[in-house]
Amino acid sequence: MDNKITLTINSKVYEIRVESNQTLSEVLRDQLRLTGTKVGCNMGDCGACAVIMDGKPVNACLVLAVQANGREILTVEGLADERDLHPLQRAFLEKGAVQCGFCTPGMLLSAKGLLDQNPTPSEEEIKMAISGNLCRCTGYVKIIEAIKSASETYPL
Amino acid sequence: MLLPKFHYHEPKTLDEACQIMENLGAMARPIAGGTDLLVNMKQGLISPQNLVSLQRIEELAGMDLSGGMLRIKACQTVSELAKSAEICSSLNALNLGASALGSPLIRNLATVGGNLVSARPAADLPPPLMAHGAKVILKSVSGERTLSLDSFFLGPGQTAMKTDEIMAEVLIEQPKASSGSGYLKLGVRKALEISIVNVASYLELDEGHKSIRLARIVLGAVAPTPMRAFSAEEMLMGEKPDEKLFYKAGQAASKESQPIDDLRGSADYRRDMVSVLTQRTLAMALANALTRGGAH
Repeated sequence: MDNKITLTINSKVYEIRVESNQTLSEVLRDQLRLTGTKVGCNMGDCGACAVIMDGKPVNACLVLAVQANGREILTVEGLADERDLHPLQRAFLEKGAVQCGFCTPGMLLSAKGLLDQNPTPSEEEIKMAISGNLCRCTGYVKIIEAIKSASETYPL
Repeated sequence: MLLPKFHYHEPKTLDEACQIMENLGAMARPIAGGTDLLVNMKQGLISPQNLVSLQRIEELAGMDLSGGMLRIKACQTVSELAKSAEICSSLNALNLGASALGSPLIRNLATVGGNLVSARPAADLPPPLMAHGAKVILKSVSGERTLSLDSFFLGPGQTAMKTDEIMAEVLIEQPKASSGSGYLKLGVRKALEISIVNVASYLELDEGHKSIRLARIVLGAVAPTPMRAFSAEEMLMGEKPDEKLFYKAGQAASKESQPIDDLRGSADYRRDMVSVLTQRTLAMALANALTRGGAH
């Protein structure tokens, strides 16, 4: 563990030691036990590992933990506040946008990245925003509906 | 699929980075967005002993327009390119290429420099940049040199860069008002796709928009490197732009291309698609030129 880094994850500051060849997704899951972030392909194709880094959704499997030093990370664990689910999470539940759930954390964060930039996206813009996130269950229709529905109440 | 071990370097300035590359040479690879490099390392295709991160070097971030020259710093992310109002209004092909690269998650990491130095034959940025006559600035401890992208790519994954050099900037002359460009990528899906064929075209018209003063056509995924379709370009120059001419240029570009058969498409199919995409991107470039020219 030859590198000391500081990460702000879900508003909490972590000072940790990491190997230079550890990815952000490995550190989140294996070291910090924040296992809400999933790892599917580990190659940047599936989007299951998406987190928001300095305001932008990225594939955590393609970011070295050392490159994330000093940056602000939002994972799915940081979406809800203490009492309430995030409007996107609520919309995913209401619209049935979750089946096996493996893609859900990444979908939610790509969707949040979109709504933070563009609170009233068109259906095309929603499809584009989640084009780096694969879902093998839902066929995407309900996910798109959920994001559309959340956009109508967002931000609460 | 864990990453192999390596030593990590994080220089704060370009000079410092050049010094590290001078000392380590072929034992080191610069890393910017990492979207290509880290995948290759996970797949075991390469395992550099040292990675030199360029992402904290301020001189390598951002872009500016001065003296009629757009300078895009090498670590500018592809999503910033796709969002740039400057690029959107004057470099249509580059805007389209940047918007088609990977996925939104990839575009937030991937950089313009990375897309060039990885030198994939089907990459999205080389054809638009070459169509716009872009040059690159390469730095090392012994100084800097400027190279046209036309002579930058040598083969798949191979460029004219030396092991101690770092790409600093991409330079593009601000296009004239009576010019336009277009880019098309043929794939089976809209995101995270490696092109079967991709083509960028650039046209510069004379004052009255009656004839073509300059044309550049760049074909991707149909040769070991992105390639200019010179015979098609020559056919266009001095001529009146219309669909018949664009059709003939498409045929010429198709003859010039050197595609191979692979799992994404056959050589015959690729040749046919070069013709179609050339014709269509020329029409896009013309429409873009007329819109831009009309605004002045």
